[in-house]
Amino acid sequence: MRDVIESDFIEIDNLSVTFEAKGRRVHAVQNVSLSVGAKQSFGLVGESGSGKSTILRAICGLAPVSGGAIRIAGEPVNTRNAKAFASRVQMVFQDPYASLHPRHTIDRTLSEPLAIHGIKGTDARVVRALEDVGLPASFRFRYPHQLSGGQRQRVAIARALMLEPEILLLDEPTSALDASVQAEVLNLLNRLRAEHGLTFLMVSHDLAVIDHMCDRILVMQHGRAVEELAREDLASARMKTEYARNLFAASADRMLGATSKD
Amino acid sequence: MTQTLSQWLTDPSPSSRAQARIGQAWLAWLRLRRNHLAMLGLAIIVLLCAMAAFAPLFATHDPFTQNLGQRLLPPGTPGHWLGTDDFGRDIWSRIVYGARITLYIIALVAVTAPVIGLAIGTVAGYFGGIVDTVLMRITDIFLAFPRLILALALVAVLGPGIVNAVLAIALTAWPPYARVARAETLTVRNSDYIAAVRLQGAGAGRIIWGHVMPMCLPSVIIRVTLDMAGVILIAAGLGFLGLGVQPPLPEWGLMISSGRKFLFEQWWVATMPGLAIFLVSLGFNLLGDGLRDVLDPRSASR
Repeated sequence: MRDVIESDFIEIDNLSVTFEAKGRRVHAVQNVSLSVGAKQSFGLVGESGSGKSTILRAICGLAPVSGGAIRIAGEPVNTRNAKAFASRVQMVFQDPYASLHPRHTIDRTLSEPLAIHGIKGTDARVVRALEDVGLPASFRFRYPHQLSGGQRQRVAIARALMLEPEILLLDEPTSALDASVQAEVLNLLNRLRAEHGLTFLMVSHDLAVIDHMCDRILVMQHGRAVEELAREDLASARMKTEYARNLFAASADRMLGATSKD
Repeated sequence: MTQTLSQWLTDPSPSSRAQARIGQAWLAWLRLRRNHLAMLGLAIIVLLCAMAAFAPLFATHDPFTQNLGQRLLPPGTPGHWLGTDDFGRDIWSRIVYGARITLYIIALVAVTAPVIGLAIGTVAGYFGGIVDTVLMRITDIFLAFPRLILALALVAVLGPGIVNAVLAIALTAWPPYARVARAETLTVRNSDYIAAVRLQGAGAGRIIWGHVMPMCLPSVIIRVTLDMAGVILIAAGLGFLGLGVQPPLPEWGLMISSGRKFLFEQWWVATMPGLAIFLVSLGFNLLGDGLRDVLDPRSASR
Protein backbone atom coordinates (compact mmCIF):
# COMPACT_ATOMS: atom_id res chain seq x y z
CA MET A 1 0.00 0.00 0.00
CA ARG A 2 0.93 3.62 -0.28
CA ASP A 3 2.75 5.33 2.54
CA VAL A 4 0.72 7.21 5.08
CA ILE A 5 0.15 10.85 4.13
CA GLU A 6 2.83 12.77 6.04
CA SER A 7 1.40 16.22 5.54
CA ASP A 8 -1.03 18.09 3.38
CA PHE A 9 1.18 18.97 0.45
CA ILE A 10 -1.41 20.80 -1.62
CA GLU A 11 -4.10 22.46 0.46
CA ILE A 12 -7.07 24.24 -0.99
CA ASP A 13 -9.31 26.01 1.52
CA ASN A 14 -12.77 27.25 0.58
CA LEU A 15 -11.63 28.21 -2.91
CA SER A 16 -14.04 30.30 -4.95
CA VAL A 17 -13.48 31.42 -8.54
CA THR A 18 -15.76 34.03 -10.03
CA PHE A 19 -15.56 35.17 -13.64
CA GLU A 20 -16.97 38.54 -14.50
CA ALA A 21 -18.01 39.20 -18.06
CA LYS A 22 -20.08 42.18 -19.14
CA GLY A 23 -21.49 42.73 -15.66
CA ARG A 24 -22.54 39.10 -15.28
CA ARG A 25 -20.88 37.10 -12.55
CA VAL A 26 -20.31 33.41 -13.05
CA HIS A 27 -19.41 31.39 -9.98
CA ALA A 28 -17.30 28.67 -11.56
CA VAL A 29 -16.05 27.26 -8.26
CA GLN A 30 -17.71 27.79 -4.88
CA ASN A 31 -16.13 26.99 -1.52
CA VAL A 32 -14.25 23.90 -2.56
CA SER A 33 -11.71 22.49 -0.13
CA LEU A 34 -9.36 19.61 -0.70
CA SER A 35 -5.96 18.44 0.40
CA VAL A 36 -3.48 16.20 -1.33
CA GLY A 37 -0.65 14.47 0.42
CA ALA A 38 2.87 14.46 -0.99
CA LYS A 39 3.39 11.88 -3.75
CA GLN A 40 -0.31 11.16 -3.78
CA SER A 41 -2.52 11.15 -6.82
CA PHE A 42 -5.75 13.05 -6.48
CA GLY A 43 -8.59 13.06 -8.98
CA LEU A 44 -11.26 15.65 -9.69
CA VAL A 45 -14.30 14.20 -11.46
CA GLY A 46 -17.44 15.81 -12.75
CA GLU A 47 -19.38 16.60 -15.86
CA SER A 48 -18.24 19.44 -18.09
CA GLY A 49 -18.79 22.85 -16.54
CA SER A 50 -18.48 21.51 -13.01
CA GLY A 51 -15.44 23.69 -12.35
CA LYS A 52 -12.82 20.96 -12.12
CA SER A 53 -10.45 22.42 -14.73
CA THR A 54 -10.97 25.87 -13.26
CA ILE A 55 -9.42 24.66 -9.99
CA LEU A 56 -6.26 23.66 -11.86
CA ARG A 57 -6.16 26.98 -13.67
CA ALA A 58 -6.69 28.81 -10.36
CA ILE A 59 -3.66 27.04 -8.89
CA CYS A 60 -1.59 28.30 -11.85
CA GLY A 61 -2.94 31.81 -11.53
CA LEU A 62 -4.79 31.54 -14.84
CA ALA A 63 -8.24 32.00 -13.26
CA PRO A 64 -9.46 34.83 -10.99
CA VAL A 65 -9.60 33.58 -7.39
CA SER A 66 -12.33 35.44 -5.49
CA GLY A 67 -12.00 33.73 -2.13
CA GLY A 68 -10.20 31.08 -0.15
CA ALA A 69 -6.56 30.07 -0.16
CA ILE A 70 -4.24 27.71 -2.02
CA ARG A 71 -1.14 26.49 -0.20
CA ILE A 72 1.65 24.27 -1.39
CA ALA A 73 3.81 22.70 1.32
CA GLY A 74 2.31 25.14 3.79
CA GLU A 75 3.13 28.29 1.80
CA PRO A 76 0.51 30.29 -0.08
CA VAL A 77 1.15 30.01 -3.81
CA ASN A 78 2.73 32.99 -5.42
CA THR A 79 2.31 32.87 -9.19
CA ARG A 80 3.84 36.35 -9.42
CA ASN A 81 7.22 34.73 -8.95
CA ALA A 82 6.72 32.78 -12.15
CA LYS A 83 10.10 31.03 -12.22
CA ALA A 84 10.00 29.70 -8.67
CA PHE A 85 6.43 28.53 -9.18
CA ALA A 86 7.32 26.91 -12.51
CA SER A 87 10.00 24.72 -10.97
CA ARG A 88 7.49 23.36 -8.41
CA VAL A 89 4.28 23.03 -10.41
CA GLN A 90 3.80 22.12 -14.05
CA MET A 91 0.73 21.35 -16.09
CA VAL A 92 -0.15 18.97 -18.91
CA PHE A 93 -2.92 20.28 -21.10
CA GLN A 94 -5.90 18.50 -22.53
CA ASP A 95 -5.33 18.89 -26.25
CA PRO A 96 -1.87 17.83 -27.46
CA TYR A 97 -2.68 19.37 -30.85
CA ALA A 98 -2.93 22.83 -29.28
CA SER A 99 -0.34 22.68 -26.52
CA LEU A 100 2.82 22.37 -28.66
CA HIS A 101 4.07 25.35 -30.64
CA PRO A 102 3.48 24.40 -34.31
CA ARG A 103 6.64 26.14 -35.54
CA HIS A 104 9.07 24.87 -32.91
CA THR A 105 10.84 21.54 -33.16
CA ILE A 106 10.47 19.09 -30.29
CA ASP A 107 14.04 20.03 -29.37
CA ARG A 108 13.13 23.71 -29.08
CA THR A 109 9.96 22.94 -27.11
CA LEU A 110 11.90 20.84 -24.60
CA SER A 111 14.92 23.10 -24.26
CA GLU A 112 12.86 26.29 -23.82
CA PRO A 113 12.19 25.71 -20.08
CA LEU A 114 15.92 25.06 -19.57
CA ALA A 115 16.78 28.29 -21.37
CA ILE A 116 14.27 30.26 -19.28
CA HIS A 117 15.76 28.96 -16.04
CA GLY A 118 19.36 29.12 -17.27
CA ILE A 119 19.94 25.39 -16.73
CA LYS A 120 23.05 23.97 -18.39
CA GLY A 121 23.48 20.68 -20.21
CA THR A 122 20.57 21.13 -22.60
CA ASP A 123 21.52 18.38 -25.06
CA ALA A 124 21.86 15.61 -22.50
CA ARG A 125 18.70 16.64 -20.69
CA VAL A 126 16.58 16.76 -23.84
CA VAL A 127 17.75 13.31 -24.93
CA ARG A 128 17.09 11.93 -21.46
CA ALA A 129 13.63 13.49 -21.35
CA LEU A 130 12.69 11.89 -24.68
CA GLU A 131 13.93 8.54 -23.41
CA ASP A 132 11.95 9.00 -20.21
CA VAL A 133 8.64 9.30 -22.04
CA GLY A 134 9.45 6.48 -24.44
CA LEU A 135 10.14 8.45 -27.61
CA PRO A 136 13.10 7.59 -29.85
CA ALA A 137 15.92 10.13 -29.96
CA SER A 138 15.38 10.47 -33.72
CA PHE A 139 12.18 12.43 -32.96
CA ARG A 140 14.20 15.23 -31.41
CA PHE A 141 14.26 17.55 -34.40
CA ARG A 142 10.80 16.81 -35.73
CA TYR A 143 7.98 19.30 -35.76
CA PRO A 144 4.71 18.58 -33.92
CA HIS A 145 2.83 18.01 -37.19
CA GLN A 146 5.13 15.04 -37.84
CA LEU A 147 3.91 13.29 -34.67
CA SER A 148 0.70 11.49 -33.75
CA GLY A 149 -1.57 12.65 -30.93
CA GLY A 150 -0.18 10.18 -28.43
CA GLN A 151 3.41 11.10 -29.32
CA ARG A 152 2.60 14.77 -28.94
CA GLN A 153 1.12 14.19 -25.51
CA ARG A 154 4.32 12.37 -24.56
CA VAL A 155 6.29 15.43 -25.66
CA ALA A 156 3.97 17.64 -23.59
CA ILE A 157 4.57 15.40 -20.56
CA ALA A 158 8.33 15.50 -21.18
CA ARG A 159 8.16 19.29 -21.34
CA ALA A 160 6.29 19.44 -18.03
CA LEU A 161 9.00 17.29 -16.43
CA MET A 162 11.98 19.29 -17.80
CA LEU A 163 12.11 21.49 -14.71
CA GLU A 164 11.77 18.50 -12.38
CA PRO A 165 8.65 19.78 -10.63
CA GLU A 166 7.12 18.20 -7.54
CA ILE A 167 3.54 18.64 -8.66
CA LEU A 168 2.00 17.81 -12.01
CA LEU A 169 -1.44 19.18 -12.82
CA LEU A 170 -3.14 17.02 -15.42
CA ASP A 171 -6.07 18.54 -17.25
CA GLU A 172 -7.83 15.60 -18.92
CA PRO A 173 -4.51 14.48 -20.39
CA THR A 174 -5.98 11.61 -22.39
CA SER A 175 -9.44 12.75 -23.42
CA ALA A 176 -8.21 13.82 -26.88
CA LEU A 177 -6.58 10.43 -27.53
CA ASP A 178 -8.11 7.18 -28.69
CA ALA A 179 -8.58 4.29 -26.28
CA SER A 180 -5.42 2.24 -26.90
CA VAL A 181 -3.15 5.30 -26.83
CA GLN A 182 -5.00 6.50 -23.73
CA ALA A 183 -3.93 3.42 -21.79
CA GLU A 184 -0.31 3.82 -22.89
CA VAL A 185 -0.18 7.44 -21.78
CA LEU A 186 -1.85 6.66 -18.44
CA ASN A 187 0.63 3.87 -17.77
CA LEU A 188 3.46 6.22 -18.70
CA LEU A 189 2.14 8.80 -16.23
CA ASN A 190 1.89 6.17 -13.48
CA ARG A 191 5.45 5.03 -14.15
CA LEU A 192 6.80 8.58 -14.14
CA ARG A 193 4.99 9.34 -10.90
CA ALA A 194 6.68 6.40 -9.23
CA GLU A 195 10.10 7.21 -10.71
CA HIS A 196 10.11 10.94 -10.03
CA GLY A 197 8.06 10.93 -6.82
CA LEU A 198 5.47 13.27 -8.27
CA THR A 199 2.25 14.50 -6.79
CA PHE A 200 -0.62 14.38 -9.27
CA LEU A 201 -3.72 16.51 -9.32
CA MET A 202 -5.75 15.14 -12.18
CA VAL A 203 -8.98 16.26 -13.77
CA SER A 204 -11.19 13.97 -15.78
CA HIS A 205 -14.80 13.36 -16.61
CA ASP A 206 -14.02 9.70 -17.05
CA LEU A 207 -14.24 7.67 -13.85
CA ALA A 208 -12.46 4.75 -15.52
CA VAL A 209 -9.38 6.94 -16.05
CA ILE A 210 -9.54 8.33 -12.54
CA ASP A 211 -9.96 4.86 -11.09
CA HIS A 212 -6.83 3.72 -12.93
CA MET A 213 -4.78 6.69 -11.74
CA CYS A 214 -5.92 8.15 -8.44
CA ASP A 215 -5.80 7.29 -4.74
CA ARG A 216 -8.44 9.79 -3.76
CA ILE A 217 -11.27 11.38 -5.72
CA LEU A 218 -13.38 14.47 -5.35
CA VAL A 219 -16.68 14.45 -7.23
CA MET A 220 -17.82 17.90 -8.31
CA GLN A 221 -21.05 19.30 -9.68
CA HIS A 222 -22.01 22.90 -10.57
CA GLY A 223 -18.81 24.30 -9.05
CA ARG A 224 -19.32 22.59 -5.67
CA ALA A 225 -17.73 19.57 -4.08
CA VAL A 226 -20.24 16.73 -3.90
CA GLU A 227 -18.35 13.89 -2.31
CA GLU A 228 -14.80 12.79 -1.55
CA LEU A 229 -13.99 9.13 -2.04
CA ALA A 230 -11.03 6.85 -1.59
CA ARG A 231 -10.23 4.41 -4.38
CA GLU A 232 -11.49 1.49 -2.27
CA ASP A 233 -14.88 3.19 -1.89
CA LEU A 234 -15.09 3.57 -5.64
CA ALA A 235 -14.15 -0.03 -6.32
CA SER A 236 -16.82 -1.36 -3.96
CA ALA A 237 -19.33 1.30 -5.09
CA ARG A 238 -19.71 2.83 -1.62
CA MET A 239 -20.94 6.28 -2.63
CA LYS A 240 -23.01 8.31 -0.25
CA THR A 241 -24.59 10.73 -2.70
CA GLU A 242 -26.99 10.10 -5.54
CA TYR A 243 -24.95 12.14 -8.05
CA ALA A 244 -21.73 10.21 -7.47
CA ARG A 245 -23.63 6.95 -7.82
CA ASN A 246 -25.11 8.05 -11.15
CA LEU A 247 -21.72 9.14 -12.41
CA PHE A 248 -20.30 5.79 -11.37
CA ALA A 249 -23.12 3.87 -13.04
CA ALA A 250 -22.50 5.74 -16.30
CA SER A 251 -18.91 4.52 -16.58
CA ALA A 252 -19.02 1.34 -14.48
CA ASP A 253 -19.22 -1.03 -17.44
CA ARG A 254 -16.12 0.55 -18.99
CA MET A 255 -14.23 0.30 -15.71
CA LEU A 256 -15.07 -3.37 -15.35
CA GLY A 257 -14.21 -3.89 -19.01
CA ALA A 258 -10.84 -2.27 -18.49
CA THR A 259 -10.03 -4.39 -15.46
CA SER A 260 -11.06 -7.65 -17.10
CA LYS A 261 -8.91 -6.92 -20.17
CA ASP A 262 -5.88 -6.03 -18.06
CA MET B 1 28.17 10.18 -48.45
CA THR B 2 25.74 7.29 -48.70
CA GLN B 3 22.66 9.43 -49.08
CA THR B 4 21.81 11.99 -51.72
CA LEU B 5 21.07 15.62 -50.98
CA SER B 6 17.32 15.26 -51.51
CA GLN B 7 17.20 12.34 -49.08
CA TRP B 8 19.01 14.47 -46.54
CA LEU B 9 16.54 17.30 -47.10
CA THR B 10 13.42 15.17 -46.79
CA ASP B 11 14.69 13.00 -43.93
CA PRO B 12 11.71 12.52 -41.56
CA SER B 13 14.07 12.33 -38.57
CA PRO B 14 16.56 15.17 -38.95
CA SER B 15 19.66 14.89 -36.85
CA SER B 16 20.30 18.56 -36.15
CA ARG B 17 18.50 21.86 -35.71
CA ALA B 18 19.87 23.14 -39.01
CA GLN B 19 18.77 20.07 -40.94
CA ALA B 20 15.24 20.34 -39.52
CA ARG B 21 15.01 23.99 -40.51
CA ILE B 22 16.51 23.53 -43.98
CA GLY B 23 14.26 20.50 -44.53
CA GLN B 24 11.17 22.56 -43.75
CA ALA B 25 12.36 25.32 -46.08
CA TRP B 26 12.94 22.73 -48.80
CA LEU B 27 9.37 21.41 -48.44
CA ALA B 28 8.04 24.96 -48.65
CA TRP B 29 10.12 25.50 -51.79
CA LEU B 30 8.69 22.33 -53.35
CA ARG B 31 5.17 23.60 -52.63
CA LEU B 32 6.01 27.00 -54.09
CA ARG B 33 7.53 25.40 -57.20
CA ARG B 34 4.20 23.80 -58.08
CA ASN B 35 2.70 27.28 -58.49
CA HIS B 36 3.76 28.40 -61.99
CA LEU B 37 2.63 32.01 -61.64
CA ALA B 38 4.60 32.39 -58.41
CA MET B 39 7.66 30.99 -60.19
CA LEU B 40 7.16 33.55 -62.97
CA GLY B 41 7.03 36.28 -60.33
CA LEU B 42 10.17 34.91 -58.69
CA ALA B 43 11.92 34.81 -62.08
CA ILE B 44 11.11 38.49 -62.67
CA ILE B 45 12.49 39.42 -59.25
CA VAL B 46 15.62 37.31 -59.69
CA LEU B 47 16.14 38.98 -63.06
CA LEU B 48 15.74 42.40 -61.43
CA CYS B 49 18.34 41.47 -58.82
CA ALA B 50 20.73 40.17 -61.48
CA MET B 51 20.22 43.33 -63.51
CA ALA B 52 21.00 45.48 -60.50
CA ALA B 53 24.04 43.45 -59.51
CA PHE B 54 25.55 43.26 -62.99
CA ALA B 55 24.26 46.55 -64.39
CA PRO B 56 27.48 47.36 -66.32
CA LEU B 57 27.16 44.05 -68.20
CA PHE B 58 23.51 44.54 -69.15
CA ALA B 59 23.72 48.22 -70.03
CA THR B 60 24.85 49.18 -73.53
CA HIS B 61 25.69 52.78 -72.70
CA ASP B 62 26.67 54.98 -69.79
CA PRO B 63 23.37 56.03 -68.17
CA PHE B 64 24.67 59.56 -67.48
CA THR B 65 26.46 60.46 -70.74
CA GLN B 66 24.46 63.02 -72.67
CA ASN B 67 24.50 63.09 -76.43
CA LEU B 68 22.33 65.90 -77.71
CA GLY B 69 22.85 64.84 -81.32
CA GLN B 70 20.96 61.63 -80.64
CA ARG B 71 18.10 62.94 -78.50
CA LEU B 72 14.63 61.39 -78.58
CA LEU B 73 15.48 58.53 -80.94
CA PRO B 74 12.51 56.13 -81.28
CA PRO B 75 12.65 52.51 -80.06
CA GLY B 76 14.19 50.11 -82.55
CA THR B 77 17.02 52.42 -83.52
CA PRO B 78 20.17 50.27 -83.87
CA GLY B 79 22.30 50.74 -80.74
CA HIS B 80 19.37 52.24 -78.79
CA TRP B 81 16.73 49.46 -78.88
CA LEU B 82 14.43 51.23 -76.41
CA GLY B 83 15.19 54.69 -77.78
CA THR B 84 16.81 57.68 -76.13
CA ASP B 85 15.49 60.45 -73.89
CA ASP B 86 15.58 64.22 -74.25
CA PHE B 87 19.30 64.37 -73.40
CA GLY B 88 20.19 61.56 -75.79
CA ARG B 89 20.77 59.03 -72.98
CA ASP B 90 20.04 55.39 -73.75
CA ILE B 91 16.74 54.46 -72.05
CA TRP B 92 17.60 50.74 -71.70
CA SER B 93 20.83 51.54 -69.88
CA ARG B 94 19.03 53.96 -67.60
CA ILE B 95 16.38 51.36 -66.78
CA VAL B 96 19.10 48.82 -65.98
CA TYR B 97 20.91 51.20 -63.63
CA GLY B 98 17.55 52.33 -62.25
CA ALA B 99 16.95 48.75 -61.06
CA ARG B 100 19.68 49.38 -58.48
CA ILE B 101 17.85 52.36 -57.02
CA THR B 102 14.51 50.55 -57.08
CA LEU B 103 16.00 47.53 -55.34
CA TYR B 104 17.75 49.75 -52.79
CA ILE B 105 14.46 51.45 -51.91
CA ILE B 106 12.58 48.14 -51.72
CA ALA B 107 15.23 46.56 -49.53
CA LEU B 108 15.35 49.50 -47.12
CA VAL B 109 11.57 49.67 -46.82
CA ALA B 110 11.32 45.89 -46.42
CA VAL B 111 13.70 45.87 -43.45
CA THR B 112 12.15 48.85 -41.67
CA ALA B 113 8.36 49.06 -42.06
CA PRO B 114 7.48 45.40 -41.32
CA VAL B 115 9.80 45.35 -38.31
CA ILE B 116 8.16 48.44 -36.80
CA GLY B 117 4.71 47.08 -37.60
CA LEU B 118 5.45 43.62 -36.23
CA ALA B 119 6.82 45.00 -32.97
CA ILE B 120 3.91 47.36 -32.39
CA GLY B 121 1.27 44.84 -33.46
CA THR B 122 2.51 41.94 -31.33
CA VAL B 123 3.07 44.10 -28.25
CA ALA B 124 -0.41 45.63 -28.58
CA GLY B 125 -2.05 42.26 -29.17
CA TYR B 126 -0.18 40.43 -26.41
CA PHE B 127 -0.67 42.93 -23.60
CA GLY B 128 -4.14 44.12 -24.58
CA GLY B 129 -5.92 46.69 -22.42
CA ILE B 130 -4.53 50.21 -22.29
CA VAL B 131 -1.33 49.34 -24.21
CA ASP B 132 -3.43 47.94 -27.04
CA THR B 133 -5.72 50.96 -27.09
CA VAL B 134 -2.91 53.51 -27.18
CA LEU B 135 -0.83 51.72 -29.82
CA MET B 136 -3.78 50.94 -32.05
CA ARG B 137 -5.11 54.52 -31.94
CA ILE B 138 -1.67 55.73 -33.05
CA THR B 139 -1.85 53.17 -35.84
CA ASP B 140 -5.31 54.42 -36.79
CA ILE B 141 -4.03 58.00 -36.98
CA PHE B 142 -1.29 56.94 -39.41
CA LEU B 143 -3.77 54.86 -41.41
CA ALA B 144 -6.21 57.75 -41.66
CA PHE B 145 -3.74 59.81 -43.74
CA PRO B 146 -3.46 59.07 -47.43
CA ARG B 147 -0.05 57.43 -47.74
CA LEU B 148 1.35 59.56 -50.54
CA ILE B 149 0.25 62.81 -48.88
CA LEU B 150 1.91 61.84 -45.59
CA ALA B 151 5.05 60.77 -47.43
CA LEU B 152 5.01 64.11 -49.28
CA ALA B 153 4.72 66.01 -46.00
CA LEU B 154 7.63 64.10 -44.49
CA VAL B 155 9.83 64.62 -47.54
CA ALA B 156 8.90 68.30 -47.54
CA VAL B 157 10.13 68.54 -43.94
CA LEU B 158 13.22 66.36 -44.31
CA GLY B 159 14.19 67.51 -47.79
CA PRO B 160 14.20 65.47 -51.00
CA GLY B 161 16.61 62.56 -51.43
CA ILE B 162 16.64 58.81 -51.65
CA VAL B 163 17.09 58.08 -47.93
CA ASN B 164 14.43 60.57 -46.89
CA ALA B 165 12.05 59.08 -49.45
CA VAL B 166 12.63 55.62 -47.98
CA LEU B 167 12.11 56.97 -44.47
CA ALA B 168 8.86 58.61 -45.53
CA ILE B 169 7.62 55.43 -47.19
CA ALA B 170 8.59 53.28 -44.19
CA LEU B 171 6.85 55.63 -41.76
CA THR B 172 3.66 55.48 -43.78
CA ALA B 173 3.79 51.76 -44.59
CA TRP B 174 3.98 50.18 -41.12
CA PRO B 175 0.35 50.52 -39.90
CA PRO B 176 -1.08 47.67 -42.04
CA TYR B 177 1.65 45.34 -40.72
CA ALA B 178 0.79 46.32 -37.18
CA ARG B 179 -2.85 45.49 -37.86
CA VAL B 180 -2.00 42.11 -39.37
CA ALA B 181 0.43 41.23 -36.57
CA ARG B 182 -2.06 42.26 -33.88
CA ALA B 183 -4.87 40.19 -35.40
CA GLU B 184 -2.56 37.18 -35.61
CA THR B 185 -1.37 37.74 -32.02
CA LEU B 186 -4.93 37.81 -30.72
CA THR B 187 -5.57 34.37 -32.19
CA VAL B 188 -2.48 32.77 -30.62
CA ARG B 189 -2.32 34.68 -27.33
CA ASN B 190 -4.79 32.45 -25.49
CA SER B 191 -3.60 29.18 -26.97
CA ASP B 192 -2.35 26.36 -24.79
CA TYR B 193 1.22 26.55 -26.06
CA ILE B 194 1.50 30.17 -24.94
CA ALA B 195 -0.04 29.26 -21.55
CA ALA B 196 2.50 26.43 -21.35
CA VAL B 197 5.57 28.67 -21.78
CA ARG B 198 4.05 31.17 -19.38
CA LEU B 199 3.72 28.37 -16.82
CA GLN B 200 7.39 27.61 -17.38
CA GLY B 201 8.17 31.08 -16.12
CA ALA B 202 8.85 32.85 -19.42
CA GLY B 203 8.67 36.64 -19.44
CA ALA B 204 6.63 38.75 -21.83
CA GLY B 205 9.66 39.59 -23.98
CA ARG B 206 10.61 35.96 -24.54
CA ILE B 207 7.02 34.96 -25.27
CA ILE B 208 6.48 37.76 -27.79
CA TRP B 209 9.83 37.31 -29.52
CA GLY B 210 10.13 33.53 -29.48
CA HIS B 211 6.56 32.29 -29.52
CA VAL B 212 4.18 34.94 -30.85
CA MET B 213 6.29 36.50 -33.61
CA PRO B 214 7.00 33.23 -35.47
CA MET B 215 3.24 32.80 -35.81
CA CYS B 216 2.77 36.35 -37.16
CA LEU B 217 5.73 36.27 -39.52
CA PRO B 218 4.16 34.37 -42.45
CA SER B 219 1.20 36.73 -42.83
CA VAL B 220 3.51 39.73 -42.53
CA ILE B 221 5.91 38.33 -45.16
CA ILE B 222 2.99 37.74 -47.54
CA ARG B 223 1.77 41.26 -46.90
CA VAL B 224 5.28 42.64 -47.57
CA THR B 225 5.60 41.00 -50.98
CA LEU B 226 2.10 42.13 -51.93
CA ASP B 227 2.91 45.67 -50.75
CA MET B 228 6.21 45.88 -52.62
CA ALA B 229 4.35 46.85 -55.79
CA GLY B 230 2.79 49.74 -53.87
CA VAL B 231 6.17 50.76 -52.45
CA ILE B 232 7.71 50.88 -55.94
CA LEU B 233 4.78 52.99 -57.12
CA ILE B 234 5.04 55.40 -54.18
CA ALA B 235 8.79 55.72 -54.66
CA ALA B 236 8.13 56.36 -58.35
CA GLY B 237 5.38 58.82 -57.40
CA LEU B 238 7.74 60.74 -55.12
CA GLY B 239 10.33 60.70 -57.90
CA PHE B 240 7.69 61.86 -60.38
CA LEU B 241 6.81 64.80 -58.13
CA GLY B 242 10.49 65.64 -57.77
CA LEU B 243 10.57 64.87 -54.05
CA GLY B 244 12.34 61.52 -54.12
CA VAL B 245 15.45 60.67 -56.02
CA GLN B 246 17.06 63.69 -57.63
CA PRO B 247 18.19 64.02 -61.29
CA PRO B 248 20.33 62.92 -63.01
CA LEU B 249 19.99 59.58 -61.15
CA PRO B 250 18.08 57.12 -63.34
CA GLU B 251 15.14 56.42 -61.05
CA TRP B 252 12.15 55.00 -62.89
CA GLY B 253 9.54 57.43 -61.53
CA LEU B 254 11.84 60.33 -62.29
CA MET B 255 12.28 59.06 -65.85
CA ILE B 256 8.50 58.97 -66.35
CA SER B 257 8.30 62.47 -64.97
CA SER B 258 10.87 63.78 -67.47
CA GLY B 259 9.06 62.02 -70.33
CA ARG B 260 5.79 63.69 -69.44
CA LYS B 261 6.68 66.81 -71.42
CA PHE B 262 6.67 65.01 -74.75
CA LEU B 263 4.28 62.19 -73.96
CA PHE B 264 2.29 62.68 -77.18
CA GLU B 265 5.13 62.93 -79.68
CA GLN B 266 7.83 60.77 -78.07
CA TRP B 267 5.71 58.29 -76.04
CA TRP B 268 8.56 55.87 -75.39
CA VAL B 269 10.46 58.15 -73.01
CA ALA B 270 7.75 57.74 -70.34
CA THR B 271 6.40 54.36 -71.44
CA MET B 272 9.58 52.27 -71.14
CA PRO B 273 10.28 52.97 -67.43
CA GLY B 274 6.52 52.64 -66.88
CA LEU B 275 6.68 49.14 -68.35
CA ALA B 276 9.60 48.32 -66.05
CA ILE B 277 7.61 49.43 -62.99
CA PHE B 278 4.63 47.41 -64.21
CA LEU B 279 6.70 44.26 -64.71
CA VAL B 280 8.43 44.39 -61.35
CA SER B 281 5.17 45.17 -59.50
CA LEU B 282 3.55 42.24 -61.27
CA GLY B 283 6.45 40.00 -60.27
CA PHE B 284 6.11 40.87 -56.58
CA ASN B 285 2.34 40.41 -56.69
CA LEU B 286 2.57 36.98 -58.29
CA LEU B 287 5.23 35.89 -55.80
CA GLY B 288 3.16 37.21 -52.89
CA ASP B 289 0.14 35.26 -54.03
CA GLY B 290 2.20 32.08 -54.28
CA LEU B 291 3.80 32.67 -50.87
CA ARG B 292 0.36 33.02 -49.34
CA ASP B 293 -0.45 29.48 -50.44
CA VAL B 294 2.81 28.17 -49.00
CA LEU B 295 3.21 30.15 -45.78
CA ASP B 296 -0.32 30.80 -44.61
CA PRO B 297 -0.64 28.92 -41.31
CA ARG B 298 -4.28 28.15 -42.07
CA SER B 299 -3.46 26.28 -45.26
CA ALA B 300 -0.35 24.54 -43.89
CA SER B 301 -0.73 21.08 -42.39
CA ARG B 302 -0.81 21.10 -38.62
